[in-house]
Formats: sequence, structure tokens, C-alpha cells
Amino acid sequence: MKIVIVDYKMGNLKSIASALIHLGATNVIVSDNYELLSSADKLILPGVGAFGKAMAEIKEKKLDLILKELVLEKHKPILGICLGMQLLGLSSDEGGLNEGLGFVKGTVTSFDSTKMKVPHVGFNQVKTKQELKLYKNIPDNADFYFTHSYKMQSSENINQCECDYNGNFIASFEVNNIAGVQFHPELSQHNGLKLLNNFMTEF
Amino acid sequence: MITALVNDVFIPITAGGGIRSMEDAEILFNSGADKILLNSALYENPDLVKQLVQKYGSQSIVASIDYKLTDGKRAVFINDGSRKIDTDLEEYILNIEQLHIGEIYLNSIDKDGTGFGYDFEEIQRIAKKISKPLIMAGGAGNENHLIEGLKIPGVSAVATANLFNFIGDGLPNARKKILESGENIARWDH
Repeated sequence: MKIVIVDYKMGNLKSIASALIHLGATNVIVSDNYELLSSADKLILPGVGAFGKAMAEIKEKKLDLILKELVLEKHKPILGICLGMQLLGLSSDEGGLNEGLGFVKGTVTSFDSTKMKVPHVGFNQVKTKQELKLYKNIPDNADFYFTHSYKMQSSENINQCECDYNGNFIASFEVNNIAGVQFHPELSQHNGLKLLNNFMTEF
Repeated sequence: MITALVNDVFIPITAGGGIRSMEDAEILFNSGADKILLNSALYENPDLVKQLVQKYGSQSIVASIDYKLTDGKRAVFINDGSRKIDTDLEEYILNIEQLHIGEIYLNSIDKDGTGFGYDFEEIQRIAKKISKPLIMAGGAGNENHLIEGLKIPGVSAVATANLFNFIGDGLPNARKKILESGENIARWDH
């Protein structure tokens, strides 16, 4: 299986690649090259950092157009992780309003730092649903590792599973070939590895 | 070392010690560190801290603060505890928060390594005033210390090296007892 991690120069890609290799993926590539992205069986959109800067990098490399073609037209499976998940949404108010890739109807806003400690960091329980592909064989209320200051919400059904941090936010969604997780499966021990394995086998 | 860890450890790894430049940090991140721990640089080079936050994000930067009782007051020390800073601990922490770091790792030098328990008195006083996630460190010797620490409002996490390094399966046993006590820590052993 060929997995291409979309490279737009943001985030720690090593732990994602290590986790995939640990799970038996033999061909894991980090790239922004159209041919390589097109030849992938699965795509991963990682990301750590600021939303606006990430979208600027993505547009600069024309990755927005490439991903639209591969994901929306050719239905290639994609998993967005952390900021990568947020980028799949409509917009974020991080550092002014910025548009995302718009693949799912979710909007991103900041946590209220006057009411809780921000960033939300550490392991927290997700209201997982075993009937979803992402959570196959993962127990209810499984813990995953989060670290983020912005959260996604949606009024639409995008098969979201929520997490509570002084209010519910979207910890994951899956719509056909498009999935996103706010937490870091590559840093979430067994539950995270199972989820990545589910992405590799169920999507 | 870090690269070897990253290859089969699937939890976040924080690396620190002697970070004095962007290059020092870059080497650690490129080796697979998820976060870096800064201590002396917080005081000696706040501009570097700001640049690191800008480049890697708040969530990647942990501020490590060591303090020790000196003349009846809790004083901040840097450079491996060798240099005393003339700012009051609480004021020092509030200043550090302005650098937009992601977490605070607060260590009592007096308690560190004793196994006699954390500096509960001071942490209880100060934790609620801290707006960033707070990890308390220094002195844990058994699971009751960890449980008592987690109950303090404003404490996000408790740290221990003692239980981990020196007492066989001290850490897994402590985790089990913490779960039994009803504290909300991650269950990851399904």
C-alpha cells in the first residue's frame, strides 16, 4: 500500500510515518509532487501550526487544486490530522478569517481562554461510535492525545464524534472517502494505532 | 536517541536540555521530538522563545521552571539550578505565560528526587492563577502523591521520574491505582 503524506512544510511528519511503517505500510512517502500524490492509495494531510500560514503554503504549491481533483473527483481516501483536519473544513478564525479547503461543512473557532486552559492538551475521551469505519474495534469512550487551541464544530451530519472540553467539539468526522481527526493518532498509543490501521484497511 | 524512540513509541515526546538557538531546536524537532522543553532560555533569551513559538506553535513549547526555598521564599533558578533569579516565582510564571508557551512544567528543586511528595502547599496556592496547562513535578514517591496532585484545581498533569525509573513496575501500578481512585487519566491498555 502506498501512502503519501502531503508535504507543505508544517508539522512533525516523522511520528506519523513511523506509526504507518509500524503497522506494516511498506511504501510511505512525504511529498507535494502531483504524480506521487496521484499514485497514492491513501493520502494523509498532517499539520501543526497556524491555519492561515498553512493555507497559504497549500495554495502556493497548488495543493488545493490537486487535492480537490484527487479527493473530490477521484475519491481518493484522505485523513486529515489535527490542523490537517481543520484545513478540510470551510474556514477558521485563527489570525483573522481564513477559508479552508471546504471538503466538509465544519467551521473552526478558538477555545475561550478566559474559561479554560488553552491549549487543550493531553489524553481525553472521545465519544467514539464503533459503527464508523474509523473506530472499528476501538472501545467506547477511548482516549486519544490532543493538543490544540482551535476547535471544529458543524451543524451538519458529518458522522462526527465529539469530545468534551468545557463544551463539545468535533474530535473526528468521516464522510465517504474523507476523514479527519483533531487528535494525534500517531501519539495515542494502541487506540491511535488501531485508528490508523482502520484508515488503511477500511477506506 | 530521539529518532530511535520515535520509531516505536507512539506517545508525545518532549526533548530538552541546553537549547540556546533555533538550530538546537531544529535538530530536536527533525529527530522526531513533538515538543521541546525550555528552561534557562526563558529568562536569558525571550526573543528566541518567541521565535520558536512562531515557528513551531505554542503547543510545541514547554516552559520548565525550577524553584527552591531560599531565605524563606520560593526563588527561581536557571542553568541547572546554579543561578538564582531575582524575580518572585509567581511573577516569573506570569511573565513566562506572556511568551505564549504551551505548557508549564513546574519543578521544586527541594522536593525533586526525595520521593516524599510534591510541594503541595505552593502548588495549591499558585495553580489556579496559571492560565496554561500546568504539570507539577518534583517529589512524587508513590501513587497517592500523584492522586493528591491531580485533585488540585488548576493542575493539568503530574510528573514522576522516580516511580518510572527506580521502582520496577511502579508506574503501571500507580496508573492502575489512579484509575481506581476515579481520577480521569487515559486508559490505553485495552
